[in-house]
Amino acid sequence: MDEKLKKLEAHRARMLAGGGPKRVAAQHERGKGTARERIDALLDPHSFQETDVFVEHRSVELGMDEVEAPGEGVVTGFGTVEGRTVCVFAQDFTVIGGSLGEMHAAKITKAMDNAIRMGVPLIGINDSGGARIQEGIDALRGYGDIFFRNVKASGVIPQISVIMGPCAGGAVYSPALTDFTFMTDKIANMFITGPQVIKAVTGEDVTGEALGGATVHSATSGVSSFMYPDEASTLAGIRRLLSFLPQNNIEDAPLRDVGDSPSRSDQGLVTLMPDKPNKPYDVRDVITKIFDGAPGEAGDFMEVQSMYAMNIVVGFARLEGRSVGIIANQPKVMAGVLDINASDKAAHFIRFCDSFNIPIVTLTDTSGYLPGVGQEHGGVIRHGAKLLYAYSEATVPKLTVITRKAYGGAYIAMCSRHLGADMVYAWPTAEIAVMGPEGAANIIFKKEIEEAADPAAARAAKIEEYKEAFANPYKAARRGYVDDVIDPAETRPRLAAALRMLAGKREAQSPRKHGNMPV
Amino acid sequence: MKRYRISVNGQSYDVQVEEVGGAAAASAPHAAASQAAAPQAAPSSSPNAPAATAPLASAGSAQVKAPMPGTVMAFRVAVGQAVRKGEVLLILEAMKMENEIVSPQDGTVASLGVAEGASVNTGDLLVSLS
Repeated sequence: MDEKLKKLEAHRARMLAGGGPKRVAAQHERGKGTARERIDALLDPHSFQETDVFVEHRSVELGMDEVEAPGEGVVTGFGTVEGRTVCVFAQDFTVIGGSLGEMHAAKITKAMDNAIRMGVPLIGINDSGGARIQEGIDALRGYGDIFFRNVKASGVIPQISVIMGPCAGGAVYSPALTDFTFMTDKIANMFITGPQVIKAVTGEDVTGEALGGATVHSATSGVSSFMYPDEASTLAGIRRLLSFLPQNNIEDAPLRDVGDSPSRSDQGLVTLMPDKPNKPYDVRDVITKIFDGAPGEAGDFMEVQSMYAMNIVVGFARLEGRSVGIIANQPKVMAGVLDINASDKAAHFIRFCDSFNIPIVTLTDTSGYLPGVGQEHGGVIRHGAKLLYAYSEATVPKLTVITRKAYGGAYIAMCSRHLGADMVYAWPTAEIAVMGPEGAANIIFKKEIEEAADPAAARAAKIEEYKEAFANPYKAARRGYVDDVIDPAETRPRLAAALRMLAGKREAQSPRKHGNMPV
Repeated sequence: MKRYRISVNGQSYDVQVEEVGGAAAASAPHAAASQAAAPQAAPSSSPNAPAATAPLASAGSAQVKAPMPGTVMAFRVAVGQAVRKGEVLLILEAMKMENEIVSPQDGTVASLGVAEGASVNTGDLLVSLS
């Protein structure tokens, strides 16, 4: 027995050494951890249980029979984060570049199947040179198997992708199919075709960083949900995100009471709103004042895609300890307009929240849809429709607070009563009308303005008249489209009470395979 | 080496174009007489020129463009002024809001793209930073 145990230990040690000390040192030099170091930093101490350590590839072609790949270039298993089980896989760049072959993929899909069966989040750390070419179509099959499971798991368990190294070619589509993608600055790269291929085909000179670095995907493409400066902060970010999420689509997110009273009012919300409706403010200040924060601290708000389509703000916060998803127009950026990217960003987030029983709180203050040829030709009709679809489809509790401007189509789109909001509150500063005062006055009073002795003065007078009569929340309140007009300082207690009331919300679904969301 | 297919009067030609270095291209027409001078000029100018201009151009230069159509209400900065990332450069009135257009990075204002009161379209240059 002793001898057999020794043999086991020796065998295991060889597998755990990965690509050997030289390659591990090279990995460290680049500011990168090894696959197991990353998993240890992500999970609770000593909680990681590795599986499939002894898996080997069975490829014999193109010299692969001579290649030893300890662990097949990927580390898989399970462990806990804050005591809650998660399944993980982490590609090991030190073992033949973390390349994906048949058995490498088999280890990943096994971890995915486990996560789906057990109903626990799946976290995948990507650091791979791509497909293992020597294994041919068996490597391609591996990617396909992973994509298929990503889709099967979608809306069942939270799926988080982490990019800590190259992620190129087909490999990018697994992260794209998951719920959130984390990227580490200066270490992560994602692209379908790399700089060399682009150079050869189009002649364009571009670096990997400029083509698919963390900044590009966070600010320009919107592929990345979160970006952090180094690996430690990236992994800490994942732990923080998980604290807002349930384990699966049947459970609720964990409660976390930080001792912030639900009846706390905040006068800061009154003073924060500028006197003139054409002055901007930062909606994130509104969010952190309303939602849970530790005593003496601002609300804990985890913003998603904070650098992309900044005219809309989405992210997670808590109300009375309960996780909520927030969608808010950002008047500080591009007047908080709705455009193609903002619609995409918000729709994706709303659908995530709805999949995982996270109530939605919408803060409305937008100047409307962005006019322009670029937007129209870019398909703002098609993309904007996603927002309507996502809100209407969502059956989780939906709360809306109209803080200021809510005109026309944008009023409808931002989770109005008509798209199924359960409770709609308006601040006294709210302006809810079919269109802005200037435009409306020009149309309705066209004749009077033209025939007036002083058209400019007449127009100004009519605009003022329209503002007085329509740019307020009371017309909507009179119809019951707004449930109550509230003191901004009381927003937190009113939302908390509404959320408590909605805890038992049930909504029957019509039988169908699935809707046809405009994509 | 880049390959192009060029069509002239319906006849197609395969053309290969090779890009050669800037210095070589400049000195080539000057023939043999200037060859003695060229090597001298190159070493003396090259250590200074790239060091002085390249880092400035890559680190500081940026063009701030209009994110949407509107009217430039007021510039908050002047040419030559140093600005920090996030500092307000100008107020763009658009969508009935006085939008603060902020600097994407640290730098110096090299030029203003338009005058105050000007109407701008999406993508129009507002401020050049260097």
